[in-house]
Amino acid sequence: MKIALAQIAPRLGDVGRNLELHLEFMDKACRVKADLIVFPELSLTGYTLKDLAGDVALDPATDPRFKKILARSRGLSVVLGFMEERAGEKGLFYNSAAFISGGKLLHVHRKVFLPTNGMFEEAKFFAQGRDFRVFPTPFGKVGLMICRDFLHYGASYVLYAGGADVIIVISAAPGRGVSEGEAFETSRMWELMGEAVSYFSTAFVAYANRVGIEDGVSFAGGSFIYGPGGRLLARAAYLDPELLVRRLDLTAVREARTKWLFKRDEKPDVILRSLERVVRVPED
Amino acid sequence: MSLKINPIFVEKVLTGFIRGELAKFGFRKGILGLSGGLDSTVCAALAARALGPRNVLGLIMPYGDSFPAEVRDAEKVGRVLGIRTRTIDIAPQVDAYFAAHPTRSRILRGNKMARERMSILYDYSAREKALILGTSNKTELLIGYGTIHGDMACGISPMGDLYKTQVRELARHLRVPASIIRKAPTAGLWSGQTDEQEIGLTYAELDEILENLVEKRKSGPELVKAGFKPAVVRRVAEMIRNSEFKRKLPPIAKLSPRSVGHDFLYPYDWGR
Repeated sequence: MKIALAQIAPRLGDVGRNLELHLEFMDKACRVKADLIVFPELSLTGYTLKDLAGDVALDPATDPRFKKILARSRGLSVVLGFMEERAGEKGLFYNSAAFISGGKLLHVHRKVFLPTNGMFEEAKFFAQGRDFRVFPTPFGKVGLMICRDFLHYGASYVLYAGGADVIIVISAAPGRGVSEGEAFETSRMWELMGEAVSYFSTAFVAYANRVGIEDGVSFAGGSFIYGPGGRLLARAAYLDPELLVRRLDLTAVREARTKWLFKRDEKPDVILRSLERVVRVPED
Repeated sequence: MSLKINPIFVEKVLTGFIRGELAKFGFRKGILGLSGGLDSTVCAALAARALGPRNVLGLIMPYGDSFPAEVRDAEKVGRVLGIRTRTIDIAPQVDAYFAAHPTRSRILRGNKMARERMSILYDYSAREKALILGTSNKTELLIGYGTIHGDMACGISPMGDLYKTQVRELARHLRVPASIIRKAPTAGLWSGQTDEQEIGLTYAELDEILENLVEKRKSGPELVKAGFKPAVVRRVAEMIRNSEFKRKLPPIAKLSPRSVGHDFLYPYDWGR
């Protein structure tokens, strides 16, 4: 299976322009015979939306722009980020990721962990998702996360316990901290998590981050793919746009799980019981 | 229209704001530019009630004698309110500049004049230990009808959340002379210029569209469906969008984990 990570810089608040950008990158991905293209968080809208959230929100069941992407997804599956507002939930704007394949919307993940501190104000404007789950795709079982979701390692655990072969993270991670390195200091944090999760989940981890600048904030780029067992397969440039393409050998999951028996020996029932105790019985 | 206000209540909030903010920052006096128009008159009236008339200084800053009626109105406002006024002709400094850098653009000249007035206000603010009271209203802030670092510059903005039609209603309550309430608003950019002519809409029309877009969060298409002209709605929405830079501090390029404006965040009234 060939995966392409579209490290793009969407235009803030301009869904029409970003749709064109998506179709353009999908064409590029088709030309290199990719099976799946992954766009970053809020790729259809830009990130720093504030009060624009309601203006750019769309219902994937009916929106004509969304249908254009659905129509083009035969032969090329797509993961993208968008602002979701369903007809049945008017006024609730979710920071969502869609998995689209064969002309169908296979799954929508709504961001659960909305950073709201310091420079971040997502919970001021967005409604909160409440679920992590894996779903079947032509490329095995896949789980989706959005940016900050990935830094709460319980979320990765749920996808791992659910049997994910591929964990896909879409992100709009700003760069913070400069020293002597060739990247923002925060890039290391994402790579560390990618390495650890792929290692101990014996699954692929694909992380698509964006680039570009919004209101003075530079998005760090550095999208990456780790193979099962913590092997770095590819990493995109920091700061610059790129289409990062890599062939994934999905049999590597089986190989890793016969070498490292974490998955076989996993005890989600014990973890669940222990968690229930933690949640229900307050510590004295 | 539902932009009705209770002027007694609004006066109480705004005089409390002026008095409170000045006290927090150690000022007893307020200073503002007096143009003879509605906004600066209402602001001066609020300041006079909040601080006492003798603690308010109105600077009248005409360009030569190009607007004699406006100067007479401004002087009248000073007398009626009992505040201190001072007249400073900005022609020498403006002419000196344009003699060296000539232009025919009325906009360039108007912006330069607004910034000369700003620089005089800040100089007098320091001389008089008086805080600058902004006179921009919500209508002009939203459509960007003002000069950045010119008339938009101030220490505090008591009127920034009042639409022009609301300022007019407040003016009646504050007993602003009827002639000033009635006359056509002008930015004084050139002789005979009026805001409504230049914007292409009356303030009543403009405020109704703004109320729908901003207060009621209606979309452009919804307004058109409700009977507003598509071209007008589009233009107002564009004016709002294209002037956001006037309502913000410039973006700081973020590098560190704690950057001014991004995640170094303290209240304006920090420790006051």
